[in-house]
Amino acid sequence: MNYLKTKLTVGIAAILLSIVIPACGNEANSVQQQSEDGRPIIQFWHAFGGAGSSVEALVEEYNNYQNEVYVNATYQGDYLENQSKIQAAIAARNHPDVTVIEAGAIGAFAKAGALVDLGELVKQEDMSLDDFVPGLLGNSYWDDTLVALPFARSTPLLYMNKNMLEEVGLDISGPTTWDELEEYARKLTIPEERYGFTTATNTWLFEALVFQNGGEILSEDGKKSLFHSDAGVEALQYWMDMIDEGIMKNPPAERGFDVSQQDFVNQNAAMLFASTGSLGSILDSIEGQGFEVITSFLPKKEEFATPSGGSNLVILENTSEERQQAAWEFVKWMTEKEQTIQFSQATGYMPVRQSAIDSEDMQAIYENSPQFKVAVDQLAYARPRPMVPAYHELQVIITIEMQRAILEDGVSAQEALTAAAERGNELLSK
Amino acid sequence: MKSWPIIRPYVMIAPALIVFLLFFIYPIYYMVYLSLHSWDFISPTKDFVGLSNFQQLLNSSEFAKVLSNTLVYTFGTVVFSITLALFLALWLNRSTRIHRLAQTAVFSPYIISLASIALLWLWMMDPDFGLLNWLLSLVGIPKQPWLTDQNTALFSLILVAVWKGVGFNTLVFIAGLQSIPKDLYEAADLDQSPKWRTFYKITLPMLTPTLFFLVVTNVIVSFQVFDTVHIMTLGGPVNSTNTLVFNIYMHGFRFFNIGYASAVGVILLILLAIMTWLYFRLLSKRVHYQ
Repeated sequence: MNYLKTKLTVGIAAILLSIVIPACGNEANSVQQQSEDGRPIIQFWHAFGGAGSSVEALVEEYNNYQNEVYVNATYQGDYLENQSKIQAAIAARNHPDVTVIEAGAIGAFAKAGALVDLGELVKQEDMSLDDFVPGLLGNSYWDDTLVALPFARSTPLLYMNKNMLEEVGLDISGPTTWDELEEYARKLTIPEERYGFTTATNTWLFEALVFQNGGEILSEDGKKSLFHSDAGVEALQYWMDMIDEGIMKNPPAERGFDVSQQDFVNQNAAMLFASTGSLGSILDSIEGQGFEVITSFLPKKEEFATPSGGSNLVILENTSEERQQAAWEFVKWMTEKEQTIQFSQATGYMPVRQSAIDSEDMQAIYENSPQFKVAVDQLAYARPRPMVPAYHELQVIITIEMQRAILEDGVSAQEALTAAAERGNELLSK
Repeated sequence: MKSWPIIRPYVMIAPALIVFLLFFIYPIYYMVYLSLHSWDFISPTKDFVGLSNFQQLLNSSEFAKVLSNTLVYTFGTVVFSITLALFLALWLNRSTRIHRLAQTAVFSPYIISLASIALLWLWMMDPDFGLLNWLLSLVGIPKQPWLTDQNTALFSLILVAVWKGVGFNTLVFIAGLQSIPKDLYEAADLDQSPKWRTFYKITLPMLTPTLFFLVVTNVIVSFQVFDTVHIMTLGGPVNSTNTLVFNIYMHGFRFFNIGYASAVGVILLILLAIMTWLYFRLLSKRVHYQ
């Protein structure tokens, strides 16, 4: 009896050990390696909620189109969440082969050596990058090496509720200057019922205002803050004045994109700054609501300007040579003319190739839904986002300090931005 | 098999010990190790920086804010939810149909996932179009900014935590109340002791073990608040709801400063250790066991 007990204990201990020990192993890519039909699997993590079905449709098409590999696309949450998971997955040496990274975060990943040098791959096959829309390649290089290809690219647009504009007798071509936007917002506001204007008051849209006002965010070498110059202060003051007057809604900054878009769709706000990438989902959600949406350029101050945003496709370092090659084939295919047309059409993100913009398909879309064309026209004024890795943290600090100026009595735009700039200079000099 | 009696106890505790070492001791060791380094979680090298992460942290006004937010949140949540739970328990410690129904109602938020609760409250707390302000407007109270103002945001999170946690605390209190011997109350009745004195002299002292248990568990849980912050405010506005665990997440996974995040983690660990120790030293002396 005792003997049996002992045997049992040892047995249980052995089983437990055998469960625990292999779990400490350091095997790279221990995820499933083969699809049901025996093709090697390429893991692709993406960050598209609304546009997710369009991404997955493309991937499925790719899986049918070729039979060398099987691409497995999985949604990981928004850009930041996806990037957090990538980071953890790299540390665990169990990361996907391909993923998307937000334009402003490419630098952080590239600097850490996590991204495959695509320049080499491009050279190998004599591929030309000339067809890529030049304004969109700005966030693709780190230290002069190509590390990313543009994929889901966007700029902010001005969205307007056409019916409301007509109702108060405003010109539906929309405001073209800051003063006009303010005037529009004033006329469109009905106290307690709707705001004339709303937007996420975060750093991305602040960049747009600073550029429009002739300012810069960082110095050219990326070592110093410049956003607290007069151009920046005026930009923030412009928002603060409209908010104080009650003609602009300041949504909670951290969730600004969601809340402002929701208010616009629910007709609680008449005008909105939001990404082109939201066009598809905005048009979908207003269907049957009895109003029309029109888009136009962000209004100018000194000049028209907009930051480009969205995400690029990258291949992560540390996969084998064959997998890298297979991943490259996939990335290349995703950014080709036909695919970029299909994706743009479904989501509102911009086509990343000139040939796609010029194509008959795309021109037909622009004819039918001119809202889509505005983003492409505005590209002429698009600028890349700062790429220094520290900007990743700095942009959160800028957003927080702007909120401080907006919400706290007695904090001026200048004070708040200077505080952010000082913190920024510390981070940038590291 | 002579050595067996010596080995046996170790074999017996091995499973528990392995799990303990692997999931408690090793992570703590690794966190302390990382807190002395500068690392972005991606690059292959970790640079040893000594105590500079701690130095940075102690000089940071953000960290001071984060720490005070966490303390205010913990204090508010624990005090409100335990006091409220105590009163609810006194009221619900009867077994009529109404009371059973009320018990169920009070307890049900506890079993709903925090993520859904957070989303629900987010909508109810919308300053312009939310349910709470609409209800307030019916009784003539002006609109509250809830999560959108730095003076009310943390309080709003406390409200959600109290609403979610009070049911569990009530249930534990009811169990505590029911284990108080009835003869004590009978004796008090015979002496014609007024209700408040019975409560103060009998009920409360007899409930101290329960109270002690609840305070400890509530403090530890509140100190680690993350879900509601992540879903409802993301630390804003202006860091007014940025708490320790959320701060660790931001620095570790958003800003790529694993070293700094680990340093905050070490501070959190030390604080929780001190608090647990304090409770057992001080509070346990005042706990009244029958």
